[in-house]
Amino acid sequence: MYDAMTQPLASLRNIHKAYGSLTVLSGINLDMSPGERVVVIGPSGGGKSTLLRIMMGLEEITEGSIEFEGQPYITARNGKTRIDADVRKKVGMVFQHYTLFPHLSILNNLMLAAVKTRGMPRAEARDKAMQLLARLGLEAKAGAYPSHLSGGQKQRVAIARALMLDPRLMLFDEVTSALDPELVAEVEQVMLELAEQRLPMMIVTHDMWFARNIASRVIFCAGGVVVEDGPPEQVLGDPVNPRTREFIQRVFHIHG
Amino acid sequence: MKIDFSFLSKYHEALLMGLGTTLQLTVICFGLALVLGFVLALLRGSRIKPVAWAAMLYVEFFRGTPVLVQLFWIFYCLPIFLGTELSNFTSAVVCLSLYGGATMSESFRSGLKSIGREQYDAAHALGLTPWVRTVHVLLPQAVLRAVPVLLSNGVGLFKESALISAVGMAELMFIGSTISNRTARPVEVFTAIALIYFIVAFPLTRLVAVLERRILRRLAI
Amino acid sequence: MEYDVQFHYVKQAWPYLMEGLWVTLQLTFAANVIALTLGFGIALLVMSRLWFVRAPFALLIEFFRCTPVLVQVIWFFYCVPILFGVYLDPMPMGILALGLNLACFNAEAYRAAIQAVPREQMDAGVALGFSPLQRVAYIIFPHALRAALPVLITNGITLFQQSALVALVAIGDLMYMGKQVATQSYRPIETFTAVALIYFAVSFPVARLAALVERRLDVARA
Repeated sequence: MYDAMTQPLASLRNIHKAYGSLTVLSGINLDMSPGERVVVIGPSGGGKSTLLRIMMGLEEITEGSIEFEGQPYITARNGKTRIDADVRKKVGMVFQHYTLFPHLSILNNLMLAAVKTRGMPRAEARDKAMQLLARLGLEAKAGAYPSHLSGGQKQRVAIARALMLDPRLMLFDEVTSALDPELVAEVEQVMLELAEQRLPMMIVTHDMWFARNIASRVIFCAGGVVVEDGPPEQVLGDPVNPRTREFIQRVFHIHG
Repeated sequence: MKIDFSFLSKYHEALLMGLGTTLQLTVICFGLALVLGFVLALLRGSRIKPVAWAAMLYVEFFRGTPVLVQLFWIFYCLPIFLGTELSNFTSAVVCLSLYGGATMSESFRSGLKSIGREQYDAAHALGLTPWVRTVHVLLPQAVLRAVPVLLSNGVGLFKESALISAVGMAELMFIGSTISNRTARPVEVFTAIALIYFIVAFPLTRLVAVLERRILRRLAI
Repeated sequence: MEYDVQFHYVKQAWPYLMEGLWVTLQLTFAANVIALTLGFGIALLVMSRLWFVRAPFALLIEFFRCTPVLVQVIWFFYCVPILFGVYLDPMPMGILALGLNLACFNAEAYRAAIQAVPREQMDAGVALGFSPLQRVAYIIFPHALRAALPVLITNGITLFQQSALVALVAIGDLMYMGKQVATQSYRPIETFTAVALIYFAVSFPVARLAALVERRLDVARA
């Protein structure tokens, strides 16, 4: 039985990932406790997105293991990655490019997985979907198709679609990177609201201001390892590691 | 020689009958080719290699040989193999459907291929089972994307069906040739025949273009 | 089945079939030469800013695309001599009919490719001070040819197969020879199978080549 008081929500042990001869992650260790909002920052190609995709079970790993709520989730053995499908159901993900199903209405986008793979009765799924859409101010769009929505609306629908399945951990992979600047805020607002409800999240973002606002913990990833790990004020404000400091200075210099 | 189309009015019933046969043939073969093409597209993606190869060979062979050769083969050789006579209509249906199936399978396949990797990622992240993923996410998108090309293939079948005249079936082209022989007025007759084909095919191609724009707009993400 | 399949008949008829194949290849080659050049011209004309230039060529393209090739070939054979008083041998007539048909299909391929040239490329051309002619020569044409190449090759192979229907107007191509041999030898199965295999043996490798070219171009563009 999982005990949220004493056990980590997710615990990553020695995660290695390589595409052929190209090493992306070389030994990531991380314990994430429930209620934590971890923002992963770092240079492009530093393995941030790969880390999230691994957590979602979208990528195989070359070495290491992940436990989720005290249960074995992902393990690599003899070059094969085993993913526990039941544990995976507790994790939800939102991607950079809105991955809504273009042939389904917004309502059906939300209902599909709940009805078809979780066995939720249609009426119940519909109610739940409408509630979620109402919470995000999108109930008027229930019958619309993704192509009719703005980028910000699509991304909010994508968040609602993931929330339909009651995830215990949400992964956000650069969800505002593809958005026009004026649409970023509406998506970040939704995420901040989820943060207030203490939904555990792991977020990859390039937006340092947003990172500071939402994170309870910031991890700086570079060269496939965790270089620095700590509260946002420290990692973003007064980093210890010289590599982190250089990165932070450069980013804030460009944005400021 | 004076060009005068008025004598054709005498033959309008024969021409309409020919067009009727052509359309009937096209519609039947279109339906059969759709089914065959879909099955072939699935077989080509099969994990059992010999099955995939057999389907590929079939498609490549029918796409790599003239329809006229296929037609002659089926008219002259198939009855020998089967040991029974086949009616002209049956042979024509068999020929155009087998050929059409090969082209349709390619259209279905490119529809499947056009689905981006993100769709697979999203399906995985939502924990969709392979069945749900295939039936509710991939297939509808593949079919939607393929619809314009499939309809174009249908118009293609309509045009290819003119070849059937070569084996003496009384469709539009054959009736045209007969009238031309009888009246010795090929210019008027064949111009009229060409116009009839055009009048049917052209609006269809326009319709396909409109449909394509709409579908692409809908599926734009 | 009492039919006794014997392929040695095909062996006897082989020289005739090869003679036919040679005619087919000549037809295909000549029609392709016409279509590759004429097609580009038609594509430019159909994209003209003047409607009275654009319209007739748009109609021409639609007409060739929306009627059966057989009807076009027959029309050329029977009507061109009467209407225009031009009496050509069957072979040049066949080349002309098929070449024009293919030119219209190629024009569409060229047009789509020209329209797909990214706007930024044109803007860059303007910004770099190229003249309109230079922009066509250095930017549009190379882009368009590369993009259109797979379709042009595919169209070329399709024409190779379509050319079989000139047999119906008594040009001695592969299909025609096959029909003759089949009738005279009473051996339709062997003959038509052999004819089909010959067509396939020529078009399959070229189709693979087109697929390879397309993949290469995709990689180059990515």
